[in-house]
Amino acid sequence: MSNAPHILVIDDEPQILRAIRTILTEKQFRVTTASRGEEGLTLAAANQPDLIILDLGLPDMDGVEVCRRLREWTQTPIIILSVRDSERDKVAALDQGADDYLTKPFGIEELLARVRVSLRHSAHAQSPESKVVKAGSLTIDLAWHIVKRGEEEVKLTATEYKLLAYLAANHGRVLTHQSILTHVWDPADANHTEYLRVYMRQLRKKLEADPERPQYILTEPGIGYRFIADE
Amino acid sequence: MKLANMQNFSFVSRLWQYLLAFVLIAAITAVFFVLRDVLDTTLIALLYLIPLGIITALWGLGPGITSAVVTFFTFNYFFIRPYYTFTVHRPADVVILVVFLVVAVVISQLVGRAQAGLAAATAREREATQLYELSTALTGLHDDHAIAQILAKQVQAVAEGEYVELNVTGTRSFAFHFPETNRPTRPSDLIVPIESARGLLGEILLWRSTPAISAGERRLFQTFASQGALAFERAWLAQAESRAQVLEESDRLKSAILSSVSHELRTPLSTIKAAASSLRGREVSWDSPARAELIAAIDDEADHLNLLVGNLLDMSRIESGALKPKREWNILSEIVGSVLARMKYLAEGHQIKVDVPESLPLLPVDYVQMEQVFTNLVSNSLKYAPAKTLVCIRAWVKDELIHVQVSNQGPQIPSEDLERIFDKFYRIAAADRVTGTGLGLSICKGIVEAHGGRIWAENMPDGLAFNFTLPIAWDGVKPPQFPMDTEAE
Repeated sequence: MSNAPHILVIDDEPQILRAIRTILTEKQFRVTTASRGEEGLTLAAANQPDLIILDLGLPDMDGVEVCRRLREWTQTPIIILSVRDSERDKVAALDQGADDYLTKPFGIEELLARVRVSLRHSAHAQSPESKVVKAGSLTIDLAWHIVKRGEEEVKLTATEYKLLAYLAANHGRVLTHQSILTHVWDPADANHTEYLRVYMRQLRKKLEADPERPQYILTEPGIGYRFIADE
Repeated sequence: MKLANMQNFSFVSRLWQYLLAFVLIAAITAVFFVLRDVLDTTLIALLYLIPLGIITALWGLGPGITSAVVTFFTFNYFFIRPYYTFTVHRPADVVILVVFLVVAVVISQLVGRAQAGLAAATAREREATQLYELSTALTGLHDDHAIAQILAKQVQAVAEGEYVELNVTGTRSFAFHFPETNRPTRPSDLIVPIESARGLLGEILLWRSTPAISAGERRLFQTFASQGALAFERAWLAQAESRAQVLEESDRLKSAILSSVSHELRTPLSTIKAAASSLRGREVSWDSPARAELIAAIDDEADHLNLLVGNLLDMSRIESGALKPKREWNILSEIVGSVLARMKYLAEGHQIKVDVPESLPLLPVDYVQMEQVFTNLVSNSLKYAPAKTLVCIRAWVKDELIHVQVSNQGPQIPSEDLERIFDKFYRIAAADRVTGTGLGLSICKGIVEAHGGRIWAENMPDGLAFNFTLPIAWDGVKPPQFPMDTEAE
């Protein structure tokens, strides 16, 4: 039982804390809760949790600030919770180093999926990640730079491949426009979301069965993109 | 120092007037002296009245009377026998001299008074003009800062002062000064209170050392100040009135929201409460199919509630002008695709046809807000159009605008209501069976207009269409086009 992942939940609403604690405990996680930002920071330092779930609207300090202070000393994955229409805050927190986000109200399936993805990525950060990502009929071999759809190899341009490789290596996680642009293009191009739109369309045409209703490369409105691979 | 100079100057100019008067008299006397033997004494006396009149008219009563007296002696000395004495022998000459003196003094006084009267009239006329100009400039102004500015500038212009400062006191205190230089260090030369019936509104401070401010000017500026007071009161009343109107409007909106919302929110809440409580109790056995159905109902209704709350938030944001699109270059077909993917289950009962070509230029829109426009228009079509009918989404470019149409085969709308369906809380009367807040379309309107576009509805031969247009350019910048690398790796 002591090997179960330890999750710290920071949220000021007791009902949300109660619900998340009940569900996560049921799923065999160890759970600690905090209702204020300072308290959360202290508990994070004292308990060294494996994952932090952080609400952006805290009474004593800005959630983005909590995120920034955590990232000063720890790479523990952070999932942020926020209400709809605060895309700016979400993007700010993600660019400050948060790993993923959930919009309130959220389904528990969604929460568990995000928790699983984040824990897996942090585990892989220590041991080298498997170099082949599978998603439906797609196989992306990150070591050999080969992308296959079924048995057939897909021809990608250099930029398209770079883009896909970045998404696939982070499968399951949301990647902000800025982080993709900085990583695949150049920090100077961080505002050129139009590059992203156009290349994403090209990529979907080559990979998706219906490019207008993508299965693998999902748009996160106002935030960025997420690559969905097989679990 | 400057003051002394100015007084000197005025004294010197008066001296010059007297001097010139004497020179004129001397010159005339010289002419008469030459013609003394030709001209009759009485005629000379008469002719002397001409320069006297001119002197009084030009330089006023003082030089006039003085000249009259001087002329009297000159006339006696040079032109009344015996010459070169002030003695008079003939009684007739005494009469001439006396008559001359009386006439000269009377003329001088009359002309002088007329002059003074004219000067006063001119001054009054100027004052009236200045007041008229001020009140014209203040007419129709509803901005207290603009009023202060005009009042201060007008005082400065009329007084030809060095510096004018206008302080408005009370709750909305502010100050305005003119010109844009530093305030003189010495105390102001004139302070005029701006007073209304309700008390002191502020004050006008004027710096003008020379010429010293006269009683007349003081009176004029007091009149200016009361004109200003009237203008301020009018402006503040107008502001208060428009604020009251806005409050009333938002109050009406709030009560409309409350009545609509309490009804709309209660419907999903009742379902959730009923389902949750029956699951909690023992009525529903663990393995009955009803259990799954109740859970699904809770989930669906929670989503519905979330949508309603979202709509309300959007509406209040549009109302308060806080809806600012976060624009980026976006692909319209991607937005439409993601909306339809999300509405897959809702749209199961209808056929959806999409004609949004990929060749359309990139659009400078807020992705999330545009998604919402499509979500609302499509869900409106799905709600009102009968099952199995066609819902079409089309987009094309015409005249630097992107034109989008969402059409359905639902009921038409009376043409007089085509505009009103975008109003808040407008619901088609016959559509009681349809749930919603009546906010969806007005949110679309708010978003489209925040993007600089236009939205309208029109009846089609077989149904209803929503149309909107958006500019393709973003602050005058055309959609970007850049080379793609087409080389395969």
